Amino acid sequence: MLVERVLVLLYFAVCIGIGIAASRRVRGSGDEYWVAGRRVGTWVNAMAIMATLASGGSIIGVMGLAYSQGIPATLALFAGAVVGFPLASLLVARELRNFGRYTITDFLAFRYPSSIVRTLVPILIVTAFTIYIVAQLKAAGITAETLLGIPFEHALTLATLVFVIYVSFGGMVAVTWTDVFQGILMLLVVLGTGLWFLWEVGTPLELMRRATSVAPELGQVEHRPVASYLGYFAIWATAIPVIPHIVMRVFTARDGHGARLSLNLAMLAYSALILAAVFLIVPVGKLDFPDLADADQVFLKVMESRFPAAVRGMAVAAVLAAVMSTTDALLLACSSSISHDLLGNILREKASQRTIDAVRVGTAWVIGLLALYWAYSPPELISQFYTAGVGLLSGSLFVPVIAGLWWKKANRTGGVLALITGALAYVLVHFQILPFGLAPILVSLAASALAMAAGGLLGPPESREMIEAIEKLHAP
Amino acid sequence: MLKSFFHMDRAEALALLFLVAFSALSFLPAWRSQKIAGMAVFGWLMAALMVLSPALALFVFRGRGKR
Repeated sequence: MLVERVLVLLYFAVCIGIGIAASRRVRGSGDEYWVAGRRVGTWVNAMAIMATLASGGSIIGVMGLAYSQGIPATLALFAGAVVGFPLASLLVARELRNFGRYTITDFLAFRYPSSIVRTLVPILIVTAFTIYIVAQLKAAGITAETLLGIPFEHALTLATLVFVIYVSFGGMVAVTWTDVFQGILMLLVVLGTGLWFLWEVGTPLELMRRATSVAPELGQVEHRPVASYLGYFAIWATAIPVIPHIVMRVFTARDGHGARLSLNLAMLAYSALILAAVFLIVPVGKLDFPDLADADQVFLKVMESRFPAAVRGMAVAAVLAAVMSTTDALLLACSSSISHDLLGNILREKASQRTIDAVRVGTAWVIGLLALYWAYSPPELISQFYTAGVGLLSGSLFVPVIAGLWWKKANRTGGVLALITGALAYVLVHFQILPFGLAPILVSLAASALAMAAGGLLGPPESREMIEAIEKLHAP
Repeated sequence: MLKSFFHMDRAEALALLFLVAFSALSFLPAWRSQKIAGMAVFGWLMAALMVLSPALALFVFRGRGKR
């Protein structure tokens, strides 16, 4: 395991190096720290977005799921996120980039000026993202323990320290460049492995035919209820246009057009990654190891049996890169929710630039260390909780954001009602306090839309100044 | 009714409609039992959606930045 460990340590060193280099640029500037100076180019942003979306689940999880639940159901889960990006580019990217602030809370608090919005939105974000971070840390710990043979706690601590260092000191500049590095590593490993198998076998159709003749369940879907994955599809499709760690990347783009292009270019790369994993690597895994007890081991088993140590080391680094590239963006979004959205006004009025810098760095460390502490003994169902957390964000934020940008009758009453109703409906249905027989996200979005309509039609009309301000956001 | 909404470019509105319709139609039960190369048509539709949806958006946005 020496080669694998050396390659992973080398990867960690590059990440910290990027963080240190970035820290010089971001010191003393909110624009540099939170949105990388708003001058990230289209291709760089696309690669960073791809890496941000591709978490541990997009390498280990997607292959394990396809192996155990079949390819069609797996693609339904991941297609939701992919569809969410074109939706984001059509509905929010240009407008939010033209708005030109730092966070989704900034937009909602501007559109629906209310202390409820200013407080509730960051609280929802911090709650959902802390769970998300813990789930990602658990994946990093298990991966490193399995592949590098080091204890779970040591692996967890090391990985956490590395990304907290580069996020806290380097801000969005460090997150962008480490994400680009991590994205390239992921694409190299997964596409490289997939293309190698393609060269060995011939065509993806031939590979699928061979695999499904031995294991027909790989291509089946009729035995599963459609509701089981329609909910996941809807959660991710509606979350992407409003989820803070993706929206922050829109704010980093040079202009609205660049933001739109980068979101969709990122998804072409992400789709290539997922499709190569399920159509080229999983069938080989099913043919070579038809009876794995732990389906999540399929990628690692294939790498172990077919490739030399140096390639395996790159594969371990790629999995850790997938985890860290998502977690770093989550940590930055969480940190911005506290130090910018919740404490921002107080800090800007009373604190020196040095204090503001210290609060930014300190917030990232506090959240990172709390998540680490929780991840030492994570709840068993943490993976399900984090999808529920994303669902909660989507159910509460989607309608207020989209209506706020596109419906002229959206007003403060409607916005606040939609936010609260969406969050409450999601929680009540998810925990089956209100048994509806539908996916919580579908109920939550419908309830939120009804609340917005009621508030917009029955409440006081929106001011002419606000309508004109939103009209300007739609300018090309 | 339409006056209650901010203006959306016609091509962008059509792309949005196409994405929503394609997604909804893909979940119809008919695609779950029919197979191509051993995999349910539903799976192929999801794979197509993953490639088509960003490609369509890029096609709609082509040349817009130069205006």
